[in-house]
Amino acid sequence: MYTCPRCDSNEADILCESPIKGCWIMYICPDCTFSWRSTEPETITNPKIYNPRFKVDTSDLSKYQIHPLIPQRRS
Amino acid sequence: MAYRDLRSFLDKLEAEGQLVRVTQMTHPEPDLGSAARAVNNLGDQSPALLFNNIHGYKTGNVALNVIGSWPNHALMMGLPKDTPVKEQFLEFARRWNKFPVPVERVETAPFQANKITEDINLFEVLPLFRLNHEDSGCFIDKACVISRDLDDPENFQKQNVGIYRLQVKGKDKLGIQPIPTHDIGLHLKIAEERGENLPVTIAIGCDPVITTIAGSPLAYDQSEYEMAGAIQGEPYRIVQSKHSGLDIPWGAEVVLEGEIIAGYRELEGPFGEFTGSYSDARRQPVIQINAMYYRDNPIFEHLYLGMPWTELDYMTSVATSVPLYHQLKEAFPEVVAVNAMYTVGLVAIISTKTRYGGFAKAVGMRAMTTPHGLGYCKLVIVVDDFVDPFNVPQVMWALSTRVAPDKDMVMIPNASVLALDPSSDPPGITHKVVIDATTPKYPETRGEMFAPTVEPPRDTQKWETIIKQLMNK
Repeated sequence: MYTCPRCDSNEADILCESPIKGCWIMYICPDCTFSWRSTEPETITNPKIYNPRFKVDTSDLSKYQIHPLIPQRRS
Repeated sequence: MAYRDLRSFLDKLEAEGQLVRVTQMTHPEPDLGSAARAVNNLGDQSPALLFNNIHGYKTGNVALNVIGSWPNHALMMGLPKDTPVKEQFLEFARRWNKFPVPVERVETAPFQANKITEDINLFEVLPLFRLNHEDSGCFIDKACVISRDLDDPENFQKQNVGIYRLQVKGKDKLGIQPIPTHDIGLHLKIAEERGENLPVTIAIGCDPVITTIAGSPLAYDQSEYEMAGAIQGEPYRIVQSKHSGLDIPWGAEVVLEGEIIAGYRELEGPFGEFTGSYSDARRQPVIQINAMYYRDNPIFEHLYLGMPWTELDYMTSVATSVPLYHQLKEAFPEVVAVNAMYTVGLVAIISTKTRYGGFAKAVGMRAMTTPHGLGYCKLVIVVDDFVDPFNVPQVMWALSTRVAPDKDMVMIPNASVLALDPSSDPPGITHKVVIDATTPKYPETRGEMFAPTVEPPRDTQKWETIIKQLMNK
């Protein structure tokens, strides 16, 4: 498991590897759906210096707008 | 002659000097996004870019900025590449009236060459990349997404082809942003009311005409394929999916078959949008991909988004202005032209003849009640018929000399707008303004005595032609 740079979850995992092996690895966070590539700069890959303005708090999802709203099922 | 696929259009661009091949090793980040921004910065004559050497891929082809300049937009319509914008608008509007042109149905298509239904991995086929630095992942942002009205599934006209941003959230999973006012928003609402998943087919790397029409605000029961036929002047070629029954552009490079999961939302975004701002993270629907088809050596076509102008603005500018123009003309035949090419029509400029005082304000408010205007047309400027709405200095002249702020501004409070407008509060709600920049007319009291406009000297048009001929010698 890996730490998500955006939401700091420790549940992030490898998503896939480059078609030519050894070039890069993609990671993905199951909690906030953020994904990143191993070859990207530290401002993307390092949780400590990830842009605070774009950090995500998954402990309270109610603050994120639902878009579009889920309609009521027909009876 | 119609372009049946992206490849034939790229060949045309290359023949016209409007394509640059990039053969050097290119990293997905930050190279591809940077190159896409850079080519947009080069002005309104810039070429398309075709990359074929992406780090980590054996065969990685990426096309960027395919319609990202006025010459490329003109070539998309089969016009000479130096066709002026207003002429492109008028020709597009003329062809629009040829709608509907019945489609050409065929049984097979090049994308059927390769099929994957198990262990799908989008990253194996598509050179996906992060476009702008703060995007939440890799996006597919220039694909035709096809869906149907599940209450009326046999109705070909209600089948929709639209472009919606797709966040890659797994090897076989995408997030999608369906705007409620768009056709897919209606399709999803109907599906969720029925408690059913919404089948969708995603066609990546299509010919430029269907991509342009997919980004255009057609009416709910107008077929994008029949409109593409009108714009290209020949029946549009489609093939029916054996998987979903949805109709697919014949020339697509990559086709994904899947379904939007009913009643489920998950974090999606942010994404650097066409507004030049990042959208917030929101809880949006998810697509499960069940099958993938692709041509040999497929091309991943992508589009740069950010502060205008970008490729999106060329792609949507005329295609957005024309339906607004036709819809306005139904109510007001006096309308001469519509320029809705600023941020997909968040600002719209309408030129019209006026019959009496207050007329222009009614034209402006009608623009806000068109299907597209409901989500855009936040600032509507109405100018006289002799003002060219595509000529910004002329529009600024009208604003400078025709507008009395106490009389000519109409504010409509708490109107609807797309939630991506960063100035809306809450997202999706905004005040809207009509600015009447026409010359006042009776019974307005200013009408009688308003300063006369300086008319061009009598032979100005004749001399424009003479000078043009001299310039072309």
